[in-house]
Amino acid sequence: MPEFRALLSGGGVMGERIRAHDWASTPFGAPTAWPQSLRSALSICLNSSAATAICWGPELRLLYNDAWSRMLGPGRPVPLGEKAIKAWADIWHVVGPQVKTVLETGAGYAAVDQLLPIQQRGHTHEAYWNYSFTPIAGEDGSVAGILHQAQETSDRVFADRRNALILALADRMRPLAHPGEILACACRLLGEALGVGRVGYGEVSPDGSTVSVARCWTDGMMADLAGNYRAEDLGKLHRALRQGEICWLEDAATDPGLSARDRATLRRLGLRSGLIAPILVEGRCRAMIFAHDGRPRGWGNHHAALLREVGERLRQELARARAEAALRESERRHRLIFEQAQDVVFTADLNQVITSANPAAAEALGIAAEALVGRSVGEFVAPDTFRRTTGMLRRKLAEGGTTRYEVEVFGKTDLLHWEISSTLTTDGDGHPLGLHAIARDVTERHAFEGRQQMLIEELNHRVKNMLAQVQGIALQSFKGKSDVAEAQAAFQERLAALAAAHDLLTRRKWEGATLTQLVADATCRLAKPDRIGFNGPDVVLPPKATVSLVLALHELATNASRHGALSTPQGRVDIGWRPAGQRLRMEWRESGGPRVAAPEGRGFGLRLIERALASDLGGAVALDFATEGLVCTIDAPLPRAGAGNVVSALL
Amino acid sequence: MNGAALPPGTRVLIVEDETIIAMTAEDMIEDLGCTVAATAGTLAQALDQVEAGGFDVAMLDINLNGELSLPVAERLRAAGTPFLFTTGYGSTGPGTAFTDAEVVRKPYRAADLAAALSRVLTPG
Repeated sequence: MPEFRALLSGGGVMGERIRAHDWASTPFGAPTAWPQSLRSALSICLNSSAATAICWGPELRLLYNDAWSRMLGPGRPVPLGEKAIKAWADIWHVVGPQVKTVLETGAGYAAVDQLLPIQQRGHTHEAYWNYSFTPIAGEDGSVAGILHQAQETSDRVFADRRNALILALADRMRPLAHPGEILACACRLLGEALGVGRVGYGEVSPDGSTVSVARCWTDGMMADLAGNYRAEDLGKLHRALRQGEICWLEDAATDPGLSARDRATLRRLGLRSGLIAPILVEGRCRAMIFAHDGRPRGWGNHHAALLREVGERLRQELARARAEAALRESERRHRLIFEQAQDVVFTADLNQVITSANPAAAEALGIAAEALVGRSVGEFVAPDTFRRTTGMLRRKLAEGGTTRYEVEVFGKTDLLHWEISSTLTTDGDGHPLGLHAIARDVTERHAFEGRQQMLIEELNHRVKNMLAQVQGIALQSFKGKSDVAEAQAAFQERLAALAAAHDLLTRRKWEGATLTQLVADATCRLAKPDRIGFNGPDVVLPPKATVSLVLALHELATNASRHGALSTPQGRVDIGWRPAGQRLRMEWRESGGPRVAAPEGRGFGLRLIERALASDLGGAVALDFATEGLVCTIDAPLPRAGAGNVVSALL
Repeated sequence: MNGAALPPGTRVLIVEDETIIAMTAEDMIEDLGCTVAATAGTLAQALDQVEAGGFDVAMLDINLNGELSLPVAERLRAAGTPFLFTTGYGSTGPGTAFTDAEVVRKPYRAADLAAALSRVLTPG
């Protein structure tokens, strides 16, 4: 049949098969009798690289090319010349009416991303197609057949759907801060998209021994699987997941890979079909995401891809949320330290403009922390100090490290002394951004040190004054004296009296002494205390008057022992004092001694009595050399009580 | 004595609150061939003595029982009367207003006092 061959040359495997087929015994009849329209259409079909078929005749019998054959796959062989209604039995409810319309109207039909559910391994699978039905006019002008071209678009449809879901998921998870909310959101979205009964997420413990499943999303029929599971109890499943494999289960009732025990377990969980995807981090299974259903169902690669993708996004979002929560917690802790620190803490930019300050800073400067932001450090220190802090900043910029120095700061009410420890803050590349400074208020320490310095100065002054007094006593004691031993004794006795006066004051914490104490103290150091009587009320004398009076009593007693009442066995001394209004009158009266004659000159002792007492008590001193005995009277203003404590005495 | 060229009979006002020290100063002044014009132990007494006059030079204890003798020094400076300070303070002197003033530190020797008095009496 040369014409037939010429007409139907080429066409690959299908071309050969069609040419070899015994058409005479079929409704097509002998090819030599085929109408031109069929021949032309068949020629187009066989020579097209797109999946193409022809439905011919009233029974729409199928002829097709290599591409169409490949498209069906090895699982669905279609005999040459098979009726379309039989070849497409599972999708005829969709394509049948479309074909019928083409036959009736003579107009072509095209479908885009048409869902054509396909039965495979006993389950219905989604598949999407672009296809067309084009009428072929017969010799009589009626529709004699249909030219059909098709292309599966499932991969693109599923990819689009997955992308849309991932985008929606990202949008919904982004504002969520709590890991629980993120999990619930992702599981619900995935569950609704897959149309399953339960979706959950489990995290594998760092040592791989435990899987902790968070609260699941369910359709309300299936149970929540939240809880901790031992990895070894998951057996084969866990081993597969650990190797990065997705586990598929299309029907727990019939799956040959399951043991009777597995089946019982799955029944208890109400699980008939499921898909579990491991989530790997650096090759290790760190978590898993699963979709379960109570009915048997088939799974496609697109389901697995969707599960993996959602699982990975979920892991990232959880990590983000946890990192943010950890950061917030860390910030909260640091904020707390910042807020509650007793020390002043502040940050500033490289122009020394304050960028943050803690409440301690606000309190010290008397300005709210927020109001401090934006103000220059220079506003709170003297220009000299600002030049110094600027110098410190330059040093840090040049050499790095921390600078510690003291500055005077204009505080809320007073000038404050701050000991500042300041460090540069840098960005990730080590470029300086600003300053971080901690300041300790050392104002009190400064005041203390100042006070201490003053006390040391004062002590020095007192010691020098005391030395000057001792110098004076020495000069006076030795002046014009030929008897060195006698002069030495007098000098030593005077020093002892001076020391005794200070002892008395020290016992009284340098608050002065009462007259009674003072006189008792002075007389008991004398050689003949039983011959000295004294009587008077308690009157407190200030420190300086105490010293003068002790020295004066010493001089009087010395004089009495040498020339006066105490130089004879019968003589005695009576000391009396009494306040009279605002004045104090005191008397030293000697009696029973030798006859007294006024001395020609006054020695140091008598001069001291007259002058020191007059000066330090602020009164008048009279020495009456009466024949029956010396009388010394003092008339002075009554000293004020409580003449001060040791500090006021020192200052 | 002591080689200090003090004009004989120079009249000295002593301002000192410690009696023993004042008495010692008096003796030193007299031993130097000078005359003690007066001795004052308080600020008020010292101001009265300045008012009264009758002295050629003054020696002022800075601290008079808690009061500073600086007002006395100011009067003397205004009047052009030479004076010196005596003090037991170590580093702190009479203050910024009298940084150039002559200061004799206690306890002082007669020679120290004579040299200082000589310096203030013959300035330059």
